[in-house]
Amino acid sequence: MNKRYFFLTLLVLIAVPKKVLAHGANIEYRETSAITIQAKYDDDTPMAHAQVVIYAPSDRTTPWLKGTTDESGNFTFVPDAEPNNVGDWDVKVRQSGHGDITTIPVTGSKLAQNVTDTQLSATGAGYTSMQKAVMAVSSIWGFVGTALFFSRSKSYK
Amino acid sequence: MHIPDGFIPPNICLAGYALTGGVTWYSLRQINRDHYIQANIPKASLLTAAFFVASLIHIPIPPTSVHLILNGLMGTVLGYYAFPAILIGLFFQAVMFQHGGMSTLGVNALILGAPSIAAYHLFRQRDRLRGEKQLLTSILSFASGAGSLLLSAVMFAILLVTNISPDMDINAERTAIFISLGGYSIQAIVEGVFTVMLISFLEKVKPELLKS
Repeated sequence: MNKRYFFLTLLVLIAVPKKVLAHGANIEYRETSAITIQAKYDDDTPMAHAQVVIYAPSDRTTPWLKGTTDESGNFTFVPDAEPNNVGDWDVKVRQSGHGDITTIPVTGSKLAQNVTDTQLSATGAGYTSMQKAVMAVSSIWGFVGTALFFSRSKSYK
Repeated sequence: MHIPDGFIPPNICLAGYALTGGVTWYSLRQINRDHYIQANIPKASLLTAAFFVASLIHIPIPPTSVHLILNGLMGTVLGYYAFPAILIGLFFQAVMFQHGGMSTLGVNALILGAPSIAAYHLFRQRDRLRGEKQLLTSILSFASGAGSLLLSAVMFAILLVTNISPDMDINAERTAIFISLGGYSIQAIVEGVFTVMLISFLEKVKPELLKS
């Protein structure tokens, strides 16, 4: 009798770990570098739910990945590390006729080290608002100057 | 309502440039026949400045934000001067703020410029039609301002809908474009009201500006 219990216990002891193993999940991890883009309109409102199409350097005509941006205009993807995919990745963001294409250079070594955070705006070119204001003002002065030139009084001729 | 680079195929960009070249030539010929070039160029220049700046002022209308375009207003006040003025304004916007693109400049000039010439011809009916002058001016200036914006929006939408790249989710993009047309119709009302205000102001202060 005792012997029988002993074997039973032994069986349970052996069986339990096997059962746990069957339910177990195996998680491996490795470090990769993802690229996060943020799409904004040039008045700084995010392009939410805009369509994103990504083209890998190895094939520029067929999309490598498609997706949509989240509420705040963000989209993250992990470029694969194949040697023929080292180069310029094209990212196209589009929503109701607004959008832009940006090129993200990915080099083999950088891919492993850096998380590239490229800001992509729908229309802006990354100027500060001060720069934009100066550009706008100088252009306006050009137009106003033209107007003044052509409306000058005849007595000065 | 500016189409950025890379959204429409190259042959349409080229066709846009060709047509814009033709319309610019025609507009310049009309301008050359004008007797008041000296008086009209300052007007055109100032309105080009307004057109250029208006694109930087955003009005949020979900899901996107819009900005005043003022192409109807330009056509109403400037006549054929509006087309070269819009072309120059678009060039400045594309170069400085990447608003629109260099390859799509021709197409964009047509989308915004052609309706402005239509607005000019519509507003000129004021001299032909009978009726109470002030009311007629208000109605026609509203129709010019709002109508030319709507016409631009429709041209913009047709061009985009027929040229959605197959890589995109076509249905989602089409829906987004149609939704944005709703936003543009609100904008058309805003621009129509703005045009009425400006035209009636000019009529009171300097009516000779509106003589064609």
